[in-house]
Amino acid sequence: MLPVVDDQLPVSTPKRQRITETNGTGDNPTDGNGSPEFTPSKRLKKTPQRPTAETPAALKASGLKTPSNRSKAKALFSTPPKQNTASSPTKVRADRSAKKKSAQLLFEQDEEDIWDGGDRLAEEILAGDNDTPAVTNGQDNEVIKTVEAEDSIEPTTDKAAATPKRRAGRPKGAKNKRSPTPEGDLPAHERYFFQNRAGPPRTSNNNLNKVTLLTHEEYFEKHAQRQDPCKREISFLNDLHRRSFSQWNFEFSQGFNICLYGYGSKRPLTQRFADWLYRKHSASPPPVVIVNGHTPNMSIRSIFATIVTAILGTDIPSKMGAQPIEVLELLQSVLKSRPSQKPITVFINSIDAPSLRRAANQALLARLAATPKIHLLATADTLNFLLMWDISLRDQFNFAFHECTTFTPFDTEFDVVEEVHNLLGRKGRRVGGKEGVEFVLKSLPENARNLYRLLLTELLSLADEHHNLDDDMDNAEGAAEGPKDETGIEFRALYQKASEEFIASSEMMFRTLLKEFHDHQMITSRIDTSGMEMLSVPLSRDEMEGVLEDLVLA
Amino acid sequence: MISNAMEADVGIPSENYSNTQGVYIYRPADAGKAPGERPPKRRKVAQEPNGSDSNPCPFVPLLDEGETELSVQLRYQTYEKLWSVQEAKIREILDDVDAEVLENVSSFVSTTSPETFRGCIPAALLTVGSNVSSLARLLSRLNDQLSSTGEGGVIVLESGDAPNLKTTLKNIIRTAIINTEGNDGYQSFFTSREGPRLLGYDLDVLGEYVAQKSIKHLVLAFRDSEAFDPGILTDLFFLLSSWLDRIPLTLLFGISTSVELFEGRLPRSSVALLKGRFFELHKASNCVDHIYERIQAESGKFWLGRNLTNVLFEKSSDYFQTPESFCRTVKYAYMSHFFSNPLSVLLAEDIPDELVQVRLCEAIRNVPSFREYCETLLEEGHTRRVRGLLEDGGYLLKQTVQLIESGQQSMHHMFQAVKFIFLLLKDLSIPKKASMSELSIRALSGELRHSPLVEDVLAVFKRLDSSKFEGLVSLIPESAANLPEFWDIRKDLNALLQTHKGPQPLRSAYDNQNSVIGTTIVQQRVKLNKGKANLPEDCLKYTKIVDRAHALLESYFETTLLRPQELPFHEAFLLDMRNPIGGVFAPRPRFAIERALSNPSDYLMYTLHHTEGTLSAMQPPTSILYQLYLESGALVNLHDLWQAFHAVFEREQGDSCDERMTMALFYRAISELRALGMLKHSRKKMDHAAKSAWMGL
Repeated sequence: MLPVVDDQLPVSTPKRQRITETNGTGDNPTDGNGSPEFTPSKRLKKTPQRPTAETPAALKASGLKTPSNRSKAKALFSTPPKQNTASSPTKVRADRSAKKKSAQLLFEQDEEDIWDGGDRLAEEILAGDNDTPAVTNGQDNEVIKTVEAEDSIEPTTDKAAATPKRRAGRPKGAKNKRSPTPEGDLPAHERYFFQNRAGPPRTSNNNLNKVTLLTHEEYFEKHAQRQDPCKREISFLNDLHRRSFSQWNFEFSQGFNICLYGYGSKRPLTQRFADWLYRKHSASPPPVVIVNGHTPNMSIRSIFATIVTAILGTDIPSKMGAQPIEVLELLQSVLKSRPSQKPITVFINSIDAPSLRRAANQALLARLAATPKIHLLATADTLNFLLMWDISLRDQFNFAFHECTTFTPFDTEFDVVEEVHNLLGRKGRRVGGKEGVEFVLKSLPENARNLYRLLLTELLSLADEHHNLDDDMDNAEGAAEGPKDETGIEFRALYQKASEEFIASSEMMFRTLLKEFHDHQMITSRIDTSGMEMLSVPLSRDEMEGVLEDLVLA
Repeated sequence: MISNAMEADVGIPSENYSNTQGVYIYRPADAGKAPGERPPKRRKVAQEPNGSDSNPCPFVPLLDEGETELSVQLRYQTYEKLWSVQEAKIREILDDVDAEVLENVSSFVSTTSPETFRGCIPAALLTVGSNVSSLARLLSRLNDQLSSTGEGGVIVLESGDAPNLKTTLKNIIRTAIINTEGNDGYQSFFTSREGPRLLGYDLDVLGEYVAQKSIKHLVLAFRDSEAFDPGILTDLFFLLSSWLDRIPLTLLFGISTSVELFEGRLPRSSVALLKGRFFELHKASNCVDHIYERIQAESGKFWLGRNLTNVLFEKSSDYFQTPESFCRTVKYAYMSHFFSNPLSVLLAEDIPDELVQVRLCEAIRNVPSFREYCETLLEEGHTRRVRGLLEDGGYLLKQTVQLIESGQQSMHHMFQAVKFIFLLLKDLSIPKKASMSELSIRALSGELRHSPLVEDVLAVFKRLDSSKFEGLVSLIPESAANLPEFWDIRKDLNALLQTHKGPQPLRSAYDNQNSVIGTTIVQQRVKLNKGKANLPEDCLKYTKIVDRAHALLESYFETTLLRPQELPFHEAFLLDMRNPIGGVFAPRPRFAIERALSNPSDYLMYTLHHTEGTLSAMQPPTSILYQLYLESGALVNLHDLWQAFHAVFEREQGDSCDERMTMALFYRAISELRALGMLKHSRKKMDHAAKSAWMGL
C-alpha cells in the first residue's frame, strides 16, 4: 500500500495521488480504508460528524446485498463516459448527488431496504465520512474517484487495469460477507419472516462431494484425540449440579418426580445421582432402575418388566403379560400388596427420545410416575419436549423441573456419523457405499446381479421422472417438500419385470433373491400410504449410476 | 412368552455395558470411595445418630454446613408438622367440594338398573371442563364406596386403553376383576375355571365374575370420553347392551366440552341405547381460591408473600390447572422455605437453648430486617438493647423468637382483617367485587391500608341501619371484637335497641333516607342543598354509636393492614420469592437451551478469554455451530456451514489446525443440533438441511 503511494508521489499531482489511492483501495479493501493518511483534508472538513464505528462486517454485507444500492452503484459506475461527455463532474458534485439520493432513500424507506440495512448505508453516505472502514463507503468513493479520474490526465490504461481488479475483488468480499441475517437486532418473529421470505433458496450450490466424509473409525479416532478446552469449566458446572442431589432427594421424599432439562447429556449426572443415592442409603440401598431412552428398539414393556424384577428379585411370576399395560398393572398390584416396600427410583434418560416419544408411551410412563412408591427422574433434551404432555399427563407426572445445562457431549446417546449421514441424505454408508455393494454383488450369483441391475435401472428411470415432476412442483409453489424421501419401485412391478426378463420364475424365488439384498442392507423397503411395498436402494444417484455401469460392463 | 430374565438384565457394573443397555437395574460402579465426593459428607453420615432409620431426615445442614444436627432435625420436623396441618385442610376442602356430586352420582348408580330404564344402559354424564383431576378423585371415592360394601366397583377406562374393541374388552374385564381380586385372582380366575379356557376378551368371564361375587353395580367410567374412537364406542355400547341382563353395568362419561358435542359424535343408533342423567362438577378456580384462603388465613406460623401469591394465581389463570397441582405448588413453596432457609428453624414450637450457636446468631444478624429493626431502636435511643442483640447470642435468640411471634400475630390479624373486608364486600351491596386472593395480594403488598376499596367499605358502613349493623357485629374478627371500646359500643347499641320500639330500624344521619334535599330558587336558579332531616332522638344516639364504630374500624384497619415486609424477621415466616416456584413448575427449556448455545459463557466461565459476542474455537463446538446456524436462512448449505465452522478453527489455530479433527467436531455438533430438533433433512438441494427452530420464538 504505502510503497505504491511512494512510487507515485514524486511525479503526480494531488489529484493523481487520489487516483492511485483509489486503485489501492480497490485492490485491498480491508487494509487501505481505515488509514487516515489517505483521507484528503478537504473531505474531512465537509463532514461535520463521524459516524460511530458500527460493526464493519455487517455494514459491508448489507451494502453489497441491497438491490437498490447495488443498482445505484452500478449506475454510477457505468455513467462515467456519459458524464464525461456532458460535463466534467467534480467530486463535490458527485458527492452531492449521492447525498441527495441517500436523503431520498432515507425518506422513502421501503421495507426491503430496512431489512437489508439500506437505510444504514444511506445514513453512512449522508455522513459522508470516508474514514469509516466500511467497504460500502470506500466503494462509493471509489466510484466517485474513478469519475474524477476520467477528466484528469491519468492514462486510461491505468484505469482500465484498475476496474477489472476491483471487479474481481468484490465478489470475494461479498461471498464472505453475504449473510441472510439482516442487520441489527430484529425481534425474533421478524427474523423468522425474514429468513423464510418467499423466493428461491439463496444458498450457494456448493456440496460436500469433494470433501471426504468421516467414517466411524476416523470419527472415533479423532474423538479420542480431542482435548476439550472447556473441560475445567464443564466439570465445575457439573459439580454445581451435583450440589442439588440432596434437594432432589428431598423432592422425591415429598412425592415429586423430577425432570431435568437443558443443553448437554445428562446421563453422567444421573449416574452420579444414582451413586449418591446408593451411598446415602448405604445400609439398605433403594432399588434404582435406569432407562436409556436413546437405545434403539427400546420397549416400554421392558421398562416395566425390569421394575417388577427390581422389586421381586428372583420370584418373578412366570407370566407377566405381553402388553405393557398388563405389566404395569402387575407392578401396581405388587406394590400395593407390599406396604413395606421401599420406594423404587426410576431414571429415564432422554424421555423425549424417538423411541419413547409416542403419545401412548408417554401416557404409560405418566401412569408409572403416578404410582405411589415410584420415584421418577426423567431427563429431556429437545427444545419442545413439554409439548408431549397435556394437562392430565402433566398432572400425573407431577414433575418438579430443574435446569441442568451440562455441556457434556452426547457421545453415548447418538451414533454421530450415522446421524450426520442421515441428515445429508447419504444412507447406506453402513454397507460401505458403492464399493461395498459391488463387493457383495460379486459374490452373488448371476441371477441376483441381474435383478439388482434391473432394480437400479428402474429406479434411475423413475428418479428421472420424479425429478422433472419435482422441478415443476418447485417452480409452481416454491416449497414442495413431500414426505417421500426417496424414489422407490413397487414390489409387484419389479416382480413383473423380473419375470419378464426370466430372472425369477416364481415369487418365492424372487423373494429369496431380495432377501439376500436385504441381509446386506443393499435395498430398503417400506410400505407407502396406499399400502404397497416400495423397494429402493440406499445409495445416492451418482453411486447408483456407478454401480449400474459396472454391472453392465462386467 | 419371552423369558423375562432375558430382558430384565440384572445390572452389570461395567460402564460400557450400561451405555448400550436399554433398561437395567443400577449397581454401583465401585462401592468404595466416591469420586468427587467431599469428606464432610461422610462425616455427616457418621454423625447421624439414626443412620439406619428407615426415614432419615432429608434436610442438609445449611450455613456452610455449620448448622447443627439438632437444628436440621428441628427444621424438618417443623416443616412436617406445618404442612401436614395444611394438607389436612386441603384434603377436607377437596373432599367437600364434590361431595354433593358424589352423593348424586352414587345414588344414581345404586337406584338405576336396566329395568328402570326399559332396557337402555344407564349412563351418567359428568361435565368436568378443565377440572380434569376432580373426576379421578370422584371415581376413586365412588370405587371405595362400592367395593367396601361389596356391591361392585368402578372400571376406569382411558382413551389409550381402547385402541380396538378386543383390547378394550380385555381391559374392562381385567380391571374389573383385578379391582377386587388382585392380579393373582385374575390369573386364577381363568385357571380354576372348569370347561374350556376362555379368552381374555370374552364377556362370559365378566358375566361369571358378576354371578360369583353377586355384584349389583358395575360402573364403567370413560375418563376422557371425547378422545375415544366413536366407532369403538358404538360397537362397545351395542355389545354391552346385549349383555345387560347378565352384567349390571352403569356407564359414566367424563366430558370436557359439552354433552351436546359428545352426543353429536355418536351415531343415533348407539345414543338410543343409552339413557342417563347429567351432572356438573365445580370449576377448579373456586376451589383454588378457597384453598388459598384456608391456607393463608388460618395459618398461624408461615405465610406466602405477595410475589409468590402472584405467581400462584398467574399460573392458575394462564393455564388449566387442577387444584391438586395448585396445592403441590404451595407445598413446594413450603418445602423450599424450610429446606433452604436456616431461619425457618425459629418457627419450631419450642426452641431449645442448645440452638444458640454462633453461626445461627450470625445469620440472624445478617438479615436485612434485623438491621432495620436495630436502626429504629437506635433512633429511639435504645442503645443498650441493640448492644445486647449484637453481643449476647442468648438474648438475641429470645428477642428474635418474641419478635417473630409478634410478627406472626400481626400477619394473623392482617388476614383476619382481609377476611373481614371480604365479608363486608359480600354483605354490603358494594359494586366493587374482589376475590379473597386479590384482596390478599393487595394486603400482602401493603396496598390495602389506604386503598379506595377500604374507604368505600368504611363509607358504606357509616350508612348502615341498625339491623344490618347488628348483623355485622358477629362478623367482626375477634382481635377487634375483644377491644374494650368495642364492648362499650356493643353495650350501648344493645341498650339503644332495647329502648327503641319502632318497626323501622334505626338509621344514622349518614343514611340517604335521612338526608333531605331542599330546593330553593335563588335568582331563577334551582339550588339543591342537602340537609339533614330532623332526626328523632334515637337516631341521633345511633349515629353517635356508628361514628364510634367507624372510628374504631378505621383505626383497626390502620393497625392491622401493615406492610408485611416491614415486620422484623419477616424473612423467617414469610416466603416471598418468585424464583424457585416459577422455574420449577413453568420451565422454559427452549430458552435455556438457546441461551446455553448462543451464549455459552453464561454457563462456562471462561478463565482464558472473554469471548462474549464473538466466535472462538474455545467454545464448545455445538455452540459455535449454533451461532453460525442462527445466521443462516431457512435452508442451510452444509458445505458452507462446514467451511464457516472450519474457518473459526483455522483463524485461531493457524497451521496447527487439524482439519479432520475439526470435521469430527463438526459431525458431533451437527448430530447434536439434529437431535435437539433444530435441523432436519431437506430434499430441496443436495447437501442442504432445513432449519426448524428460530431463536426466541
